[in-house]
Amino acid sequence: MYSHIEKSIDKVAASLKNLSGEEIGKAINLIHSVYERDGRIYIFGNGGSLAIATHWVSDFNKTVFSHNLTKHSKRFQAIRLPTTEEELSAWANDVGFDMVFAGPLQNYLHDSDCVIAISSSGNSPNIIKAVELAKSRCVPVLGLSGFDGGKLHELADVSILVKTEPGDYPVVESVHNTVLHLLTDYFQHYFDHAIENDQKDI
Amino acid sequence: MIITRAPLRISFVGGGTDLKEFYSRYPGRVISTTVDKFVYIAVNQAHLLNRFIIKYTETEIAKHPSEFKHPLFREALTKMGINKGLEIASFADLPAKTGLGSSSSFSVALFKALFAYVGKPVGKHEAAEAASELEINILKEPIGKQDQYAAAFGGFNIFQFNGDGTVTVEPIFLDFRVRSALENHLLFYFTGITRSAESVLSDQRSKIEDHFETYKKMSDSVPVFKTKIMSGDFKGMAEMLHEGWLRKKTLSDKISSPVIDTLYEAGIKAGAWGGKILGAGGGGCLMFLVDPKHRQEVMAVLENEAMRAGLDEFRRIPLKFTQSGADILFNSSV
Repeated sequence: MYSHIEKSIDKVAASLKNLSGEEIGKAINLIHSVYERDGRIYIFGNGGSLAIATHWVSDFNKTVFSHNLTKHSKRFQAIRLPTTEEELSAWANDVGFDMVFAGPLQNYLHDSDCVIAISSSGNSPNIIKAVELAKSRCVPVLGLSGFDGGKLHELADVSILVKTEPGDYPVVESVHNTVLHLLTDYFQHYFDHAIENDQKDI
Repeated sequence: MIITRAPLRISFVGGGTDLKEFYSRYPGRVISTTVDKFVYIAVNQAHLLNRFIIKYTETEIAKHPSEFKHPLFREALTKMGINKGLEIASFADLPAKTGLGSSSSFSVALFKALFAYVGKPVGKHEAAEAASELEINILKEPIGKQDQYAAAFGGFNIFQFNGDGTVTVEPIFLDFRVRSALENHLLFYFTGITRSAESVLSDQRSKIEDHFETYKKMSDSVPVFKTKIMSGDFKGMAEMLHEGWLRKKTLSDKISSPVIDTLYEAGIKAGAWGGKILGAGGGGCLMFLVDPKHRQEVMAVLENEAMRAGLDEFRRIPLKFTQSGADILFNSSV
């Protein structure tokens, strides 16, 4: 049993070590830019990736500012798509599963926004459809993919690829979650520091 | 209605190596950041009016854009082939000719808006190239490409200008603690003197051959400056700015002026570590890096010196660094 546990831990640790610091840096800059122009961040994925998207939105919108909730007039506006299960099932049932993200995204998307697409294979047709919609409008895309990155790795303006054997969902999804937590943690420290710095008299 | 904006920039080292006469022979490099001062463009469809209206410090009304006096508006609209009525207004946080690249920020914001207006939104590279093409090739401004790229991309970057005309953009991932500490060390003044960059840059450009080795040193100092900024070595940065400024002054005797020199030297004497002038021709803005402990003294000396020189418009400009480049803030047509 121990050897299995160790192997699992090693795999995740190795994948974390292999992440591109530069791409994560670019992801931070991209999200920072959206904040400055008061745009919105739309995030989506299928299955476990949708759960990751929902988890991140709940963290990001509040946790980033939780030490100074009343001191920021402007906050992040991260939104998981679709925003309701009803919307998801309506698009899937009435139009087709490949439209469950692109359909709602079209309702919301403005030029000042950005998109975070999560797909372990990088090839989910519904994810690619939504990414193509954003790209056609020159809205920047942050892609979180796994395996060999698939189409999402090629299309995304900033691509965080967790390179693994095909089908290694547990590793990919664990690392995606860690990366998104890193983004939340970075901005929490950033805004805490900004408040402290503003209070200095220079 | 479409509203866009593009930030102004401050360049640290390497300015001038973005001129084609240089980078066609040796890679040019500039390290710069955008700041929280912007040029805004608002474009509104006016088909029913069947007129072209542009509003800046003046208002012009014409049947066709080719009749406009304002060169950037005239050539940009002509180049885009827009032939149905249109109304455009521009707004700026700072006056023109301050040395913060505002005319290129204007061009980038304008193209960002016009491409969106015709339904073909463009990314950062395309916006920068369209603005460069307009200013350098069509209007024959003797400038380089650093400002267009800085405005389009936003944030701290190194731009490398390659011999084949391409531009490589290397973002600098500066820790936010260093970033805000740098803001606290920065002292920035508008001198109140505005000069067109054109005459100085033309002079500078014609002498590139004579000063080729100096330009090479300027370009090669950019990666060194990056290591200093990354490690938060503000004193080291200031010394490099100082050296760079002295070096730049040798390139053309039109770059500085006695009053600018007096102000700069007064700032250094009062305790600033180093700095530079932004602006090509004996005017523009003064930037210093100062130990926050000496900030008040340096400010007092500079303001006093400026008063003595009769510079009524001399004023401190508080700056914060920004990350985002040229953006569409609002687009009602999609």
